[in-house]
Amino acid sequence: MTFDFGAIWENRDILIEGIFNTLLISFIAIPIGIFIGVVVCLLRISKRRVLRWPAIVYIELMRNIPLLILIFMMFYALPFYGIRLSGLTTGFICLSIYGGAYFAEVFRGGVEAVSKGQFDAAKALGLKYGFYMRRVIFPQLYTYVFPPGTNIALTMIKESSLLSMITVAELTYAAHDINGRTFTPVETFATIAVIYWVICTLFLKLTQMLQSHVDTDDISNSMALR
Amino acid sequence: MDLQFIEIIPKAGPLFWGALYTIFVGVIACGVGILVGTGLLLMRNSRFWLLRTFVRIYGSFIRGTPALVQILVFYYALAPLTGINIGPFTAGIMAVGFNSGAYVAEILRGGLSRIPKGQWEAAEALGLPKHKVWFKVILPQVFNSVIPLLVNEFTMVIKITPLLSTITLVELTRASQMLYNETFRPVEVLLLAAFIYFVICFSISQFGEYLQRRSQKFRL
Repeated sequence: MTFDFGAIWENRDILIEGIFNTLLISFIAIPIGIFIGVVVCLLRISKRRVLRWPAIVYIELMRNIPLLILIFMMFYALPFYGIRLSGLTTGFICLSIYGGAYFAEVFRGGVEAVSKGQFDAAKALGLKYGFYMRRVIFPQLYTYVFPPGTNIALTMIKESSLLSMITVAELTYAAHDINGRTFTPVETFATIAVIYWVICTLFLKLTQMLQSHVDTDDISNSMALR
Repeated sequence: MDLQFIEIIPKAGPLFWGALYTIFVGVIACGVGILVGTGLLLMRNSRFWLLRTFVRIYGSFIRGTPALVQILVFYYALAPLTGINIGPFTAGIMAVGFNSGAYVAEILRGGLSRIPKGQWEAAEALGLPKHKVWFKVILPQVFNSVIPLLVNEFTMVIKITPLLSTITLVELTRASQMLYNETFRPVEVLLLAAFIYFVICFSISQFGEYLQRRSQKFRL
């Protein structure tokens, strides 16, 4: 059989818009997800039950319900309560709260990996909770949190493909669009697979560069700079 | 709008069958995943450079592309490329299985790295042929040590199966879509579907954690 990549080249505008939207969704949802992750992690490791239990329920719900169901609930169920969100907004919200739960677990793993002596020393010095979390514990997290955190961020970029089901014009939706116009499924889906792979690989390489930068930094040195 | 579960529950039969189908698909796909993962592990440790490179590229590609795109590629591209006309069921199982295989291979690699070198040396000293060393000595120990992680991988597979609704498999997500199109009650139906997914995944992951705790207790 012959391949007709010309059909894709003619529709490159749709693909480029798709790439742009995928990147836009990911790079807004990932920082929000990290922020939610930090907050939920702090709640999760808190000693008070009132704070800890909501965080546990949230994390377990997000980890055990497929993202697609969550997206459908936001998109099809919320309008019944008078909240009508656009596909793109639904996408941002769903991806961030979904990734947030995973980030929270990653941060919790990091906090648990920091040795107990650090907490004891900080408390012995009479530092306040907010201060020692911010200035003593969190700066030490980078090495523990970076590799799994990168994985979660990559997963979020990939999961953004699910938004094509609620007609957000991202990369997978663009592929469906082009396929519908030209009927070249093999070429179209192979092309977007390669594009996703390139995005993910570039992202991975970028974070690896950042990580080596963090690693070479002496921890005490970086704390002195803050 | 009030929630009216009483109206929905009697009609929820399709959801129940959908849930069973989801588990069925998950089990088969997980089986495929373990087979693929074991194959990848063996290829990774082979002495041929080509096989090792193939595993690297395969892993990078599976982890660098969304599961949804993999499923679409399998469903739409495999038949025109190879001339084998596979239905949505086979395509879906294969796509999810091959996806899971890459992750299973990583899990097994972690397990393999914990096998002491003495096991290899002992097996070689006994004069066992290569395939017996792998299948009778090393792999049983690897699998034994990673069972909790494989159980967790099963929940990951269950969470990928909703994507199969795009290629017309009537599993839980598709069943709930059909049900709310019929009853015009998406809130109740989706909440019910989410609840079923939660029960399935939560019980499996709790079971996995129980196994992990138990294996840690025995390892002491």
